Amino acid sequence: MPKLKSDTDLEGLRQRILAERDPNASCVTVCSGTGCHAYGCEGVADAFVSEIQRVGLDGQVRVRRTGCHGFCERGTVVVILPEEICYLHVKPEDVPEIVSSTLMDKNVVERLAYSDANGQKIVRHGEIPFYKHQRQIVFGDNRFIDPKSIEDYLARGGYAALSKALLQMTPEQVLAAVKEANLRGRGGGGFPAGRKWETTRNAPGDPKYVIVNADEGDPGAYMDRSLLEGNPHRVIEGLIIGAYAIDSHEGYIYVRQEYPLALENSIQALETAREYGLLGENILGSGFNFDVSIHRGAGAFVSGESSALMNAIEGRVGKPRSKYVHTSEKGLWEKPTCLNNVETWANVPFIINQGADWFRGIGTENSKGTKIFSLVGKIRNTGLVEVPMGSTLREIVYDIGGGIPDGKQIKAVQTGGPSGGVLPESMLDVPVDFDELWEAGSMMGSGGMIVMDEGTCMVDTARYYIDFLAHESCGKCVPCREGLRQMLRILTDITLGKGKDGDIELLEELSAFIEDSALCALGKTAPNPVLSTISRFRDEYEAHIKDKRCPAGVCKALISYYINPDDCIACALCARDCPTDAIEKTDTAYAINQEKCTKCGACAAVCPDKAKAVVVRDAVRAEYQVVA
Amino acid sequence: METNMTGESTASSTSDEPRATDVVVIDDEESICEGCRQALEADGYGTATAPDGVQGLRLVEELQPRVVLVDLKMPGMGGVEVVTKVSEVAPSVVPIIITGYGSIESAVETMRIGASDFITKPFTPEKLLGSVRHAMELTEAKAKPEVAAPAARPAAVPEAAPPSKHSLLLQGLDALGRLSSLGFRKREFLNELRALESEARERAERMGHAKDKEEIVLEMVHDLHVADGVIQKHGYSKSALIQILLDVQTELNWLPGYCLRWISARLNVPETAIYGIASFYEAFALERRGAHLVQVCTGTACHVRGAPRLLDRTSGVLGVKPGETDPEMKFTLQTVHCLGCCALGPVMVVDGNYYSDPSTRQIAKIMDACN
Repeated sequence: MPKLKSDTDLEGLRQRILAERDPNASCVTVCSGTGCHAYGCEGVADAFVSEIQRVGLDGQVRVRRTGCHGFCERGTVVVILPEEICYLHVKPEDVPEIVSSTLMDKNVVERLAYSDANGQKIVRHGEIPFYKHQRQIVFGDNRFIDPKSIEDYLARGGYAALSKALLQMTPEQVLAAVKEANLRGRGGGGFPAGRKWETTRNAPGDPKYVIVNADEGDPGAYMDRSLLEGNPHRVIEGLIIGAYAIDSHEGYIYVRQEYPLALENSIQALETAREYGLLGENILGSGFNFDVSIHRGAGAFVSGESSALMNAIEGRVGKPRSKYVHTSEKGLWEKPTCLNNVETWANVPFIINQGADWFRGIGTENSKGTKIFSLVGKIRNTGLVEVPMGSTLREIVYDIGGGIPDGKQIKAVQTGGPSGGVLPESMLDVPVDFDELWEAGSMMGSGGMIVMDEGTCMVDTARYYIDFLAHESCGKCVPCREGLRQMLRILTDITLGKGKDGDIELLEELSAFIEDSALCALGKTAPNPVLSTISRFRDEYEAHIKDKRCPAGVCKALISYYINPDDCIACALCARDCPTDAIEKTDTAYAINQEKCTKCGACAAVCPDKAKAVVVRDAVRAEYQVVA
Repeated sequence: METNMTGESTASSTSDEPRATDVVVIDDEESICEGCRQALEADGYGTATAPDGVQGLRLVEELQPRVVLVDLKMPGMGGVEVVTKVSEVAPSVVPIIITGYGSIESAVETMRIGASDFITKPFTPEKLLGSVRHAMELTEAKAKPEVAAPAARPAAVPEAAPPSKHSLLLQGLDALGRLSSLGFRKREFLNELRALESEARERAERMGHAKDKEEIVLEMVHDLHVADGVIQKHGYSKSALIQILLDVQTELNWLPGYCLRWISARLNVPETAIYGIASFYEAFALERRGAHLVQVCTGTACHVRGAPRLLDRTSGVLGVKPGETDPEMKFTLQTVHCLGCCALGPVMVVDGNYYSDPSTRQIAKIMDACN
């Protein structure tokens, strides 16, 4: 491939690629994100390739292994273009039928199509409620692109924004556009990206660096991974444009080692971009030089903090430092460094292509554009969803997410990851907006959204987050290291039924102290999960402390499993599944030997629906409660 | 030493002999040139000196030394330019920068254009020799493979022949000879060997002699080869430390202590700094892992869907706690923060295969299938 030396070269190549592609030709897109890999999408894609060859359709039908489509609940997701026929839960054994019915006879395989609550089949991708209520902009191209193919990206208009920025705009104009668009950082803090760029640009010191933060550490969030692994060129294009505006010539992508596919695809994308002359010297003949290296993170939540991440790139332990001087002025190797999250960089090409006004037309007064959330937990449609800022949590949970499964009641939605807070059912009409979420006692965060139902214990949830944070604390400052350890001890005691009067107040006092005195954002925001659960669900804390009961039936020390002899059908499934042989046969049923029981819940999980004989009851009182 | 031999014998013993000039020192301060020369010659290195860049380059081209020491700040041609030009006139030479305390940053810059190390003034003869010895090792790596390969395997032994006692002995002697030419003393060499051996003995004892000491030594040597290859791939760069550890971990599945010590010596980074990093990050295992890795996701989504109960069940079936390995070294149970397949949660991953909320019996079946 000869290097592209001008915008004419780029457009020429794009036209050649488009001319080779018949928009009406059939193309089978198979979601190949990490979520679908867990379902075995490789086998599905392979089956398509061989079946299409077998029936002699090769040459007419393409099979494309694309980035994540977002609908992880129903993987492997297959969409057949151009008709946009969407099949869900596809297994390799379904492939021959899809090929013969849909590709050859143009009929729909109904059993694989989406079926709504009334059993009505919905065939078209865009009409499925999960997709219909989203507005996919940043994430939208994922399903059309093979992340390993730069041609696919170019065919979707890729690198047009780069060419526009480099050849038709001055760095100042690019910066002004991003400022005017009011793009705010998608990594959590919501700091205006344009202002950060400007600080780095104006800071004394040379060279300047730009960094993509793909060290997504929030457990239960995977938006950044799916963007980087599904559409790496979008992120790279945004990064080059940013570097141009900032006058940086060296960039880094910091990816977690735990994201092998994102790592593989971004390494490959960088190589191809270099080969095409989109990275390196004199990009597109503009005279601008820029290149990017990959740095693999070794998995520590705190390393996603900007100064910690820069320490790690320098080869030192990824611990934060106090930021009397911002990293945008003195960052990597003490040089001005602009660090933005994956999603932030991925927004940039859209702002350049379609203008700041267009971008500002989406969203609310102070939060512009869209936001991608990872909608997970007790929700019917787990997946990645992109909505315009200003959508309410209720719309996300019910219209897109399909509500709570198994007829349960929603209890809360948690946003902002370990630094965020919970919003109870009564606050579901809060819009997605940096400031509104903050005022409601939570935060936007990087986009984790965990739905909790009545079977989720809020004390256990708070303990979970503090356990995570205490483990991930780098140990550098005392308030975070020791404070979290004490909070964890108190919370653990409460979940064990050893809570005392005054524990809640003590937690609040410790929280205030840590917030005031911790060194970095991890510590300062660490008490949030505790404070927000106390303020919204104080009654649950009190039930644990005063009555020694866990209303959600989660905290092991406060519950016991019990087989209701009247309901037991003596099928022996539970006895066979019990890892500690704690279930013994009585005359007509089975019973749990409480001495041996480790409360792992295996019995409740296998008890057949028609019996539902295994129940959870309070360890102290004999009130029955069906297992969540 | 060989330098005292007669001219005839020097001519007859060929490549193993140190060359006439091993090091060229280029510095405008005469005292530095002279000091370096004395220290280097005392250690057996042939040394020549030059007072400026132009003369220095001429010497380098003419003598083709193995290492060149260059002062960063000199009137006329500066150190940066000298280093750049050295790589043109004598590509196999390894440059070292001499610098004043105030200009460390620019010295670091020169490492980017090919200097192997820098030493700050004032320096002790030990510091100088340490840096030169390390650079000498690098010259081995820089030498062309077709030259290096026959040296490592004496020509008398055909490639396919099984290693015999004598061929190995020859290799050992060959190595000893080359070590002394690098200024490495035999005693230090033997100490290293003894340390390796005693660690192998300890490990054999810990394993209840399931493997004998010799087998373990071979394993350790293999691991050190792997570690060394990785270090070389990253160009001996200190800032690549985390990347080096990740690569070694990927190759060996854990980070053995002897490899960490090796990396410490190779990169000239204190062991404490290396352990600081290796114990800080989740990805690194300082204990040997079992043949099969069993991961249970404890991300928030999996947690609310019952990950703690799945972890209990898995732990019950395997008979090990999270983070532990069974005595037969078959399974290591590990918790991970989010595998990003939340729709399957709670999820267990065994050797890369995903299982959504398996029951106790399913877990037992999956483990039985691991062989």
